[in-house]
Amino acid sequence: MTRISAKLLLATVLATAGTAARADDLYIICNLRPPITAADVRDLFVGEKQFAEAVKLVPIDNSAAQSLFLERVLKMTAAKYSVTWIKKSFRDGINPPVVAGSDAEAVATVRRTPGACSYVTTTPEANLLVIAKL
Amino acid sequence: MGIKGNPRVVRVRSWPCVLLVACLGHSLAAAAADTESDQIAELRKELDQSMQMIRELSQKVHDLEARAAQQPATAAAAPRTTPATPAVAQTPTAPAPAAPPTAVAAAAPAPPLAPATPDTASRLIQLEQTVSQMAANAWQRAEDTGMPMHGFADVGLGTHNPEFPQYQGANIAELDFFLTPRLGARTRALFELNFEVGADSTVAVDLERAQIGYQFSDSATIWVGRFHTPYGFYNTAFHHGQWIAIALRRPRFIEFEDHGGIMPAHTVGLWLTGSERLGDMKVTYDAYLGNSQRIYNGILDMNNAGVPRGSAIVGGNLGLLPGGVLDGLKVGVDALQTRIEDQDPTPAAFPQVSPYFTQVKSYGAYAVYDTDRWEDIAELHFFDNTDLTGHTGSHHSDAGFIQMGYRAGRYTPYARYERGSFQQSDPYFAAQINGNSYDREALGLRFDIDLSSALKMELAKTSFTDRIIRTYGEALVQYAIRF
Repeated sequence: MTRISAKLLLATVLATAGTAARADDLYIICNLRPPITAADVRDLFVGEKQFAEAVKLVPIDNSAAQSLFLERVLKMTAAKYSVTWIKKSFRDGINPPVVAGSDAEAVATVRRTPGACSYVTTTPEANLLVIAKL
Repeated sequence: MGIKGNPRVVRVRSWPCVLLVACLGHSLAAAAADTESDQIAELRKELDQSMQMIRELSQKVHDLEARAAQQPATAAAAPRTTPATPAVAQTPTAPAPAAPPTAVAAAAPAPPLAPATPDTASRLIQLEQTVSQMAANAWQRAEDTGMPMHGFADVGLGTHNPEFPQYQGANIAELDFFLTPRLGARTRALFELNFEVGADSTVAVDLERAQIGYQFSDSATIWVGRFHTPYGFYNTAFHHGQWIAIALRRPRFIEFEDHGGIMPAHTVGLWLTGSERLGDMKVTYDAYLGNSQRIYNGILDMNNAGVPRGSAIVGGNLGLLPGGVLDGLKVGVDALQTRIEDQDPTPAAFPQVSPYFTQVKSYGAYAVYDTDRWEDIAELHFFDNTDLTGHTGSHHSDAGFIQMGYRAGRYTPYARYERGSFQQSDPYFAAQINGNSYDREALGLRFDIDLSSALKMELAKTSFTDRIIRTYGEALVQYAIRF
């Protein structure tokens, strides 16, 4: 009985873990050649990097994946992110990223916008440039 | 209570059970997660179909344009014998399954060439316009929100007005509008229009910042117009909206000119600024050249319209952000030089020479530690001024402050100490209403009501130490918002 319980527990953990890993993948996608590096992503989304060679970069926030992105990439809270952009905008006259409402909208915006970069939690299609998987 | 039978059989039977439970568990959990995913997938599919339709229409326009271009040659080689059928009608309009653009182009063979008629050409133009419109609208949906306008405002209560201590009770401070129009990839603009209460208790309108800039790269932007003079850290980090700062007010000596500041907070001229990343480190720089300021009615004025005698302010600021384990830290140095003309009647204490000219040289250093939790700022400025009329010689003064704030959720307690030691024999300070030496200690608390409004409370003690000797305490409350 003890062995069966342990295996049941193991099975449950495996099942949950599998689902969690699937839901927690974060892909940084760009419409950009040459691409920026994963190390540039943080600067891009706080307005510190605005050009890749001659191409104007266009960060696109994705509200469906923003909390994950802030936690893993920018390592700041939503409030701090908001204040960072208010200060940045107030100091440098730069507008914060536009916000897509879903992975699909983020993908569509990136596809049609040269220099655009965003982040999604669903596996991007093959014709999109994935800068990093986190 | 134990399980009867052959243990090996039980073990063998238990593994399929485990796998079954695992699969079921995974499926159930996945199904729950997929409910939202399905909705997203459905939206995504619809969007993909729309995009596919745009691609197909674009392809049709391209094909029709190609055929239209070939029409003269085709017409010359084979005269028309039958009325042309509109090309658009021949092509299918139903959306095809999603595929990459290249696949669409390859999979959709061009229909047989048909001679174009004026009607075809007209429809072709109409189709092209429709496609262009669709593409433009699709872009605007996500990108164009017009001209962003933001604003800040604050009101308060206190035993004194925080900036004009001769008043007490309730006060309105300012209503600040901030505009950042979208102009293109490299041109930037920034306008700040402020309705503020002045020392005479009346409301005045001031174009606090009006700057238009061209961004060459991440490491170089040139601004022209009126901007905040980039000395130290505070003057360019915090502006007229008090919501943006932790503390209830700016340090007294770097207040804005018409609110008691004794440094040239604004400059009208050229400003080159940028940053460069060097590994984990980042270097920031500012270099500027502008109209020299003047003193008028005991207040510094930035000479918005120009200078009558061609004198200038020139300065720079160099900052370093070490990054890595010191992420959040910034240290820097700055310097400026200008020639200030005092256009007021010469004070009796000074030789009767008018106008008075003072060469102002200021050097400073600063350190900032800004993280999720901490916002600590320290600045120190030295003044090495020379009376250009030759009557009072050279003078040395200094001013500085240190402020520490700790963000604990919605509460941010802070403490600040500031001090200004200004030689009263220096015409530059003597001519300014607020050019007296002082020190101030303050303890405060900021409470963020939500992401757009904050309540701040401060207890402070200010001592004037030379021109007049006086100490007064303050209990201040401020309600600051952004929108």
